[in-house]
Amino acid sequence: MAQTALKLKGSPPVSDWKKWLGVAPFFLFAILFLVLPSLRLIMGSFTNDEGQFTFANLLQLFQEQFILDAYWLSIRISAATAIGGGVFGFLLAYSVTVGGLPKPLRSALITFSGVASNFAGVPLAFSFIATLGRTGFVTALIKNIFGINLYQQTEFDLYSFWGLSLTYMYFQFPLMVLIMAPALDGLKREWREAAENLGASTTQYWLRVALPVLLPSILGSMILLFGNAFGAYATAYALTGGRLGIITIQIGAQIRGDVLHNPGLGYAMAMGMVIIMAVSLMGYSWLQKRSERWLR
Amino acid sequence: MNIFSRIRRIPFWSWVWFILGALYFLLPLYATANFSLRMERDVIGFKAYVRAFEDPDFLKTFMYSNMLAFMTILASIILIVPTAYWIRLRLPEARRVVEFITLLPFVVPAIILVFGLIRIYSSPIKIPFTNTTLLQPLTTFEIGTDILIVAGYVVLGLPYMYRSVDTGMRTVDVRTLTEAAQSLGASWFTIIVKVILPNIRAALLSGALLTFAIVVGEVTLASFLGVPAFGPYLFLLGQHRAYEPAALSFASFLLTWLAMGLIQLFTGGQGQASGAH
Amino acid sequence: MTHLSLKNVSKHFGDFTAVNDFNLDVNKGEFVSFLGPSGCGKTTTLRMIAGFEIPSTGQITINGADITNKAPSQRNVGMVFQSYALFPNMTVAQNIGFGLRIRKEKEADVVDRVKEMLAIINLEKKADSYPYQLSGGQMQRVALARALAIRPEVLLLDEPLSALDAKIRIALRAEIRSIQQKLGITAIYVTHDQEEALSLSDRIVVMREGEMDQVGTPFQIYNFPTTVFVANFVGTLNNASAEVVDPAKGLIAIDGVQFESAVDLMERKKGDKVRVAIRPERFNFVSQEKKANIVDCRIENITFLGSIVRIQVMIGNSKFYMDTFNNPFLELPKIGDKDQVTCSREAVLVLDE
Repeated sequence: MAQTALKLKGSPPVSDWKKWLGVAPFFLFAILFLVLPSLRLIMGSFTNDEGQFTFANLLQLFQEQFILDAYWLSIRISAATAIGGGVFGFLLAYSVTVGGLPKPLRSALITFSGVASNFAGVPLAFSFIATLGRTGFVTALIKNIFGINLYQQTEFDLYSFWGLSLTYMYFQFPLMVLIMAPALDGLKREWREAAENLGASTTQYWLRVALPVLLPSILGSMILLFGNAFGAYATAYALTGGRLGIITIQIGAQIRGDVLHNPGLGYAMAMGMVIIMAVSLMGYSWLQKRSERWLR
Repeated sequence: MNIFSRIRRIPFWSWVWFILGALYFLLPLYATANFSLRMERDVIGFKAYVRAFEDPDFLKTFMYSNMLAFMTILASIILIVPTAYWIRLRLPEARRVVEFITLLPFVVPAIILVFGLIRIYSSPIKIPFTNTTLLQPLTTFEIGTDILIVAGYVVLGLPYMYRSVDTGMRTVDVRTLTEAAQSLGASWFTIIVKVILPNIRAALLSGALLTFAIVVGEVTLASFLGVPAFGPYLFLLGQHRAYEPAALSFASFLLTWLAMGLIQLFTGGQGQASGAH
Repeated sequence: MTHLSLKNVSKHFGDFTAVNDFNLDVNKGEFVSFLGPSGCGKTTTLRMIAGFEIPSTGQITINGADITNKAPSQRNVGMVFQSYALFPNMTVAQNIGFGLRIRKEKEADVVDRVKEMLAIINLEKKADSYPYQLSGGQMQRVALARALAIRPEVLLLDEPLSALDAKIRIALRAEIRSIQQKLGITAIYVTHDQEEALSLSDRIVVMREGEMDQVGTPFQIYNFPTTVFVANFVGTLNNASAEVVDPAKGLIAIDGVQFESAVDLMERKKGDKVRVAIRPERFNFVSQEKKANIVDCRIENITFLGSIVRIQVMIGNSKFYMDTFNNPFLELPKIGDKDQVTCSREAVLVLDE
């Protein structure tokens, strides 16, 4: 494809390498504030106390129990909220698109989802404390209606795995809705009609056509949700005050003061996170491409 | 019409999911609002709100965060608009690299970013293998820290801002607009300021509002870099007080709603998500 | 024996009547087109046969069995959609076999039937391709095969060719017709393209604003339209207002210029206003032949269309088109010339105004 040579009056044609000057500020910024910090972490994880190259830090990642526990906890919470958020978010998106609810409800849900997905962090944590904390609204409601005292008679605790997961759902559901609503719109009405015409029931249509077509989108979104939860810090910290030892909180502790007495290990922990996020992103990209091909 | 087609009309399960979702989303909001109105015993009133807004620290940190948001938006626009424009016009080859870079913030969440930023910029920047110092640690200057956090926020907002601007430029076909303006004799500056910027206004506003929503409530970068922002203030407040944090949380929800509502107004329909913090 | 029958079928959407009192008996193996402009109700009627709309009134039967309220999945009619609607997650072979597998046929039988259909549509090589790898014409053939694979009672086609290029359209429509005739399957074909309807159908139903204007063979519809709308919609047509001069002799006058028509005018009185329609190709120059009607005219314009030369003439105050075959050796009159043209009595159609 020939490129139109756009020139200012009187200026000579722009040579090849000079063209790249136009994006130089952007690259400079990216290098200074994105690439360099990341590189610092990567290099730091391969450095020991004396400044020499070593794999010891990385090895220690797999040896220290509490680090493995932290990763595992983060992975479990992220997976739980990815799956739970994915399934219920899909059902919500389904209800206002193919599911046939009135149009105003769809607008309301989409707008609210845009708000809720940005409502993470400290305010979200406080809201959930006001709802399901020891003196929370719903806690009291459950006591009054069902006579069950959540904190004494059940194992429920807001400041735990399930409590944090429940809180995370507040931005996971909306994220799923915002991604899946357009994808569900992409399901052509004629596919359902063609399937019906050929004798399929609604269930058969969903099992054989609709869900397979949507699957790359659904899986990709769940991976996105996973990464979203995995990297979250503020909400968890505001809710549990650092008591729940997910990996981001451990790294936070490491940043504040070198609690590990081994800077290299801290960097290695961070790098471990980056690798997990990078793998998620690659999975998401690959699934994105697949779904685009089908939902043309 | 037979009875089966009539039953098909009522989407029972759709209503079930929707109502469950509504309950889940609205209960916490109600609980927070309810709690925030009960500062005075047995009275429903705005005392918590009054107290919260009267606190001098509130005003100080809120204004500071607003200023940060404004600087972030400005810096983002100055950085991204010319870049996106240049790529569309002259350098399509750079597109893949730039888009890859805008995906990196997904891989480097706030906590990791701040970790790296602090480690690099809290020590002097030297020319490698020499003793010559280029720059004292940014973190020793107050303005240095401000620069750092704004840069951090620009990075965090990069994916959304870039995508917003790029889509806006594609929609109005900046290439053709530029060629038309050039054939009429306009200079580069005129083109960018008078032709391009006005036409991507909606995209810029949408990106700006999203950035605003992210920055004002942000906690991770702010607390680790030690800046007097609203996020850390709110967190601290929560340690000592009960009603005021609830009031501010609910108010911040309303503020986010306002920002998102404005985005809907300008873009007409697609929601925008920025994910977890 | 009538295979497919629609009796007094109507469809209302609130205040809006999409289809009004549709009546049709289709014989086995017949190819019937529903022809009309957008919004005339042809697609709605088709969808009622398919079961995607339920008639507000009336009855639809196949082989005598009432299917009016049956679910679409229970009717055993095969539908070809305008947008092909191939399942994107399945290969060509899987798409074609979809209906058979739903019916729980034996896998071996399904494979055989799919092979058979692939041979009929000439796409054996593409059996394992996905829809996104196919061209528009190929996708349409797969859609056709998928609908036929289930051995439907009736084949329904909803403007299947309108999304394709002109050349492919012409080739594909011939293929559709030949497959339909070979299999002897009853077919209902919805289109807004009159050339398609004329070339494919055993019978055409011309529809307008929910009503059936005329039902007949292509020959009948073209040569003997019963309403102005049909006459205008199908083929090019000259039409003009006229007055009845003498009902007994079949004389009418367009702006005072008299024409004799073969149409029975006995129901009309002298002075009645009517609409006269004459096909352009029924006119000829007096120098070439002489028919019953000879009228003076003035040459307004001459357009060379390739195999046809279209001449615009003024007869009285009315503009008429005359089509004559291109003949390199025929000397054409010049613009502005006064000349005489002729047409037969049968060519002069008299319709209600």
